[in-house]
Amino acid sequence: MKREHQNRAVNYGLRSIGATMRHHLLLTLGVALAIAGAVITGLLPPLILEKAVNLLSAGEMFPFSLALAYFGLLFVAGLLESCKQALLTVFGQKITRELRHELCQKLTLLPAGVLSMQDAGAVSSRFVSDVDTVENLFDDGVVSMIADLVQVVSIFVILFSRNRGLSLLLLVVLPLVFWYTRHVQKRTLRAQVDNRRALANVTGLIPETIRNIRTIHNSGSASWMRTRYGRYVGDSYRAIEQTNFFDAIYSPIILLTNAVVVGIVMLLSASGNPEIQSFFGMQVGTAVAVISYISQIFTPLENIGMEIQTIQSALAGLTRINEFLGQEETWKKVPGTGRAALSATDVPAVAVQDVTFGYNSEETVLRNFSLTVRPGETVTLTGRTGAGKSTLFRLLLGLYRPDAGQIRIFGQEAAGIPDNEKRALFGYVEQNFRMVPGTVLDQITLFDDGITREMAEEAAKTAELDAVIRQLPKGYDTPCREGLFSQGQWQLLSIARAIAASPRILLLDEITANLDAATEETVLKAIKNAAGGRTVLSISHRLSASLGGRQIALAPEAGESS
Amino acid sequence: MKKSSSAGTGLTHPEKITSYFSAQRPILLVITITGLVYNIGLLAGPYYEGQMAQCLLDISRGEAAFQDMLHLVLTYLLVIFLVQGSRFCKRFYVRRFANNTARSMKEILYGNLVHHSKQELDAQGAGNLITKAVSDADDCAEGMRKFTTELFDTGVALISYTFFLLSYDWRLALLCLLFPPVSYILADRMKVPVQRTGQAAKESSGRLSSATLDRVFGALTYRVFGCEQARNQDYEDHLADYEQKGIRANLFVLAMPPIYQVISLVSVIFILWFGGRNVMGTGWTTWDVAAFTAFLSSYTKLAVKSSHAAKLFNAVQKAQVSWRRIKPFLTKVPEEPAIPAKDPGTLRVRDFGITFPGQAPLVSGLSFTAAPGEAIGVTGPVACGKSALGQAFLGEIPYAGTISWNGQDLSGLAPEVRNGIVGYLGHDPELFDGTIEDNVLLGKKEDVWPYLKAVCLDKEVQAMEEGIQTRIGPSGNRLSGGQQKRLALARTLALHRPLYVLDDPFSALDRNTEQQIFANLRAQCKGSTLLYLSHRMELFPQMDQVLLFQGGRVIVSTHAALLSDSPEYAQLVALSRGKGEDHEA
Repeated sequence: MKREHQNRAVNYGLRSIGATMRHHLLLTLGVALAIAGAVITGLLPPLILEKAVNLLSAGEMFPFSLALAYFGLLFVAGLLESCKQALLTVFGQKITRELRHELCQKLTLLPAGVLSMQDAGAVSSRFVSDVDTVENLFDDGVVSMIADLVQVVSIFVILFSRNRGLSLLLLVVLPLVFWYTRHVQKRTLRAQVDNRRALANVTGLIPETIRNIRTIHNSGSASWMRTRYGRYVGDSYRAIEQTNFFDAIYSPIILLTNAVVVGIVMLLSASGNPEIQSFFGMQVGTAVAVISYISQIFTPLENIGMEIQTIQSALAGLTRINEFLGQEETWKKVPGTGRAALSATDVPAVAVQDVTFGYNSEETVLRNFSLTVRPGETVTLTGRTGAGKSTLFRLLLGLYRPDAGQIRIFGQEAAGIPDNEKRALFGYVEQNFRMVPGTVLDQITLFDDGITREMAEEAAKTAELDAVIRQLPKGYDTPCREGLFSQGQWQLLSIARAIAASPRILLLDEITANLDAATEETVLKAIKNAAGGRTVLSISHRLSASLGGRQIALAPEAGESS
Repeated sequence: MKKSSSAGTGLTHPEKITSYFSAQRPILLVITITGLVYNIGLLAGPYYEGQMAQCLLDISRGEAAFQDMLHLVLTYLLVIFLVQGSRFCKRFYVRRFANNTARSMKEILYGNLVHHSKQELDAQGAGNLITKAVSDADDCAEGMRKFTTELFDTGVALISYTFFLLSYDWRLALLCLLFPPVSYILADRMKVPVQRTGQAAKESSGRLSSATLDRVFGALTYRVFGCEQARNQDYEDHLADYEQKGIRANLFVLAMPPIYQVISLVSVIFILWFGGRNVMGTGWTTWDVAAFTAFLSSYTKLAVKSSHAAKLFNAVQKAQVSWRRIKPFLTKVPEEPAIPAKDPGTLRVRDFGITFPGQAPLVSGLSFTAAPGEAIGVTGPVACGKSALGQAFLGEIPYAGTISWNGQDLSGLAPEVRNGIVGYLGHDPELFDGTIEDNVLLGKKEDVWPYLKAVCLDKEVQAMEEGIQTRIGPSGNRLSGGQQKRLALARTLALHRPLYVLDDPFSALDRNTEQQIFANLRAQCKGSTLLYLSHRMELFPQMDQVLLFQGGRVIVSTHAALLSDSPEYAQLVALSRGKGEDHEA
């Protein structure tokens, strides 16, 4: 199972990276060239230095062109490194954009059932942090690793050609260094995870303190809170101390190892023993170049360790993204059915026929349920929690398909109506108002271009909210925020949103819970205004009676189905 | 651990940045010594590597022996060991210094936060500012660390490198040292676009995050209203913007440093050329191969180091910005006075009124007296001012008239004395992310069960696997609404106050539990006066007095009298009954 996931993950990741590569061929080529160029030119300067020192020690001056060439290589290497960074940045951004685009598209295609089951916070982190890790996988992971491997191998080859003994010595030392590097990195990672956990507590305590400040003061528990805070900060302190230790120790040990290798090589190449000399003997210029290379080989090794870590954590992110992208998509909608429904005459507004439905196979919520609502009729659904009132709404809205039976809205199959044709058909007053980022006007239009300012204002008037909105500092253009309206006014706003597109059917989802009598009256008045001439389906609340119309009782299905 | 903690909050001048340095003198001394040893010792590497190359040359010419090399290598390793050992100490202690600083700052910030009043936190957005300040503390400490590091790594190291180079060939050294400043000035110039693009990218990323959250959390709403395509388009616009801004910001940060370094490295042309002539004996001075290689590699290290200087500079600047933001909140943490225990007493409210600026009076002319142990019901429609009356007891809102306890005016009392009289529970249970026990006792050492029993929560807690040690999650979200309310009530009872102000404490409970808890409450706090604010009327027949808030006036009476005299009151009772039936069991 796990294996399969990993494979699928790689497929999706590759697909997005592949798509980006195909769309930006030149860029891809540029990245490859810049990387190869940067690695190669970075390796050449010590060879020139070797030549210069050898000439000097033989008592000959080298030509000026050699000095120029030395700088020239450094210059080109720097330039290529800069290009590499720039191109990788561009490339990485394109990949993340492509992935986020894919995720966003997928969100539209997921069935409502899947959407509502998912933890929205977790889904958001697919979009934000997991995508970032996939970008890391690409540039800080795979690409850098290739560059570093090439560098290590090249240095090794050069050293082998200059001093075979040294390359043998490195064959022993490098694996040890690599093991040490990984060890330090793993321990650091563990400490960082501890710290993140501790920090979550530290940062979590602050909003809690602000929220509960009244209780803290009234109960005189400020010092208790400070003790708690001190404890969490202390946890974080100790975890950071661990990271600091590894941070501090890593590089000194590497440089010491570097020095030991240099020392051994110098010692052995200085030994008079001809057998050792055949392995370690070298000219002075070579010695200078070798010293420079030895110090160069440790850096890519350290990087490779980090890259392994990056790849590991990125793969987890990729797997999660893949799981999201791999989810089953919603059924096909039939374009035009919504419009067809709008123009239909002589058909029931809602026709539910022998519908059976459950969210999963174990539990049936509705069984053989039938209901016909004529245009302009008001129907109230009653029944206890779990009887299927909200479920019926979701079925009418086409968010779910019935397991058996038929649901028709003005003669068209509910589940077949495309989402973007729904607003003219249904006005759905949600149980809890969902604020969207933007102005008060945006709350009503929901950024729908089809709804003009006049329509929105008209809707607000009907919902008895127009006067309140006009009293706001910027009227309809006041940025919306929590606390701008009272609880009852939010419900009025919800009604305005529902009726802004003049829908034919109004769905009221138990909206007057938790209101005082006066506010309830206003809400009721707004509902009555909004209902005018429309087909209204309402989920029971104690004011339903004032709406009049038919009452339909839904019986809980649980007993029957088990 | 204890010591450093008290060192943090015990600073005499937490608003001065130097306090954090002087509070850690021993650590800074270690950093200074090891930092000097390391940075001066840095030269040992290039020097000895040059010497070893020279020795190799001498051996090949027969001018030196293996013994000389052995001696040289051993010295080299010993010196490197000392240098790197110092480096470890410097690195570790400078990090500990930053860690200590961040911790003290956070503790001071928190100590101050916890003493802000609710109004300050709500109104001035002080809560938000302090939240930001706490995250700034890390940046600030990091900047102080980098400043300390820079002092040695850039300051001391660059100076010692410069002297080292000058001592080999002062003319060549001066020539070479022309270039690092050029690179440095360029880097400094680039700081402005770096910050500008970085800020733009950060803002764009923030906008993208909120767009993501909105798109995901609102997915179903947008679907029901058929707005998904439009929202996708909006999201794509955010993506495009973020891509553009992100590329721009990263270009400056990632693509420029190699260029700075190349500029510093122009000098190697001179080093090779004039250095070669020095070795040949035709230059400004006479060098051997050792001097040649040592000079070249020292200069290369210097160039790399100075290119890092710009990065360090940025960190220090960032720290300055952070410091400016947190400084206003780094004041001495006030002492926490103990809350004195108070005996039952008489509550007297005279001509009480609340008027918010620019509005009609919310309440006025309220007078009543409550004898010790009386229960007073307060009711009225939403926003009639009954909650405001409750908050007036906390000193949270200004009011006209007097509220006095045993003849003492509440508004004249020190906050801790007032809190010793009033036990308050508002709409929001204000629970803490901790165990059940923590939430009831708030750190006191006591038996928690009597309180749980009083609020009828004992059976449920017993059924929990970890009992009173069960963690209830942020805001108590692992408990049901009713459990949260009862837990908060248990906490309020554990305060043992002579006057309780309870604002709608039973809103999420069924009637039987409500009655049961009320009975327990009366039994447990016999002498305590009780102010019960609610629009649920089931308990009102048991109240000694009832205050009916209505259109700015308050009628002080009893349940029975109001029921017969006030149609509004009767209607409230009827409505409340209806509501009760609506609650699904």
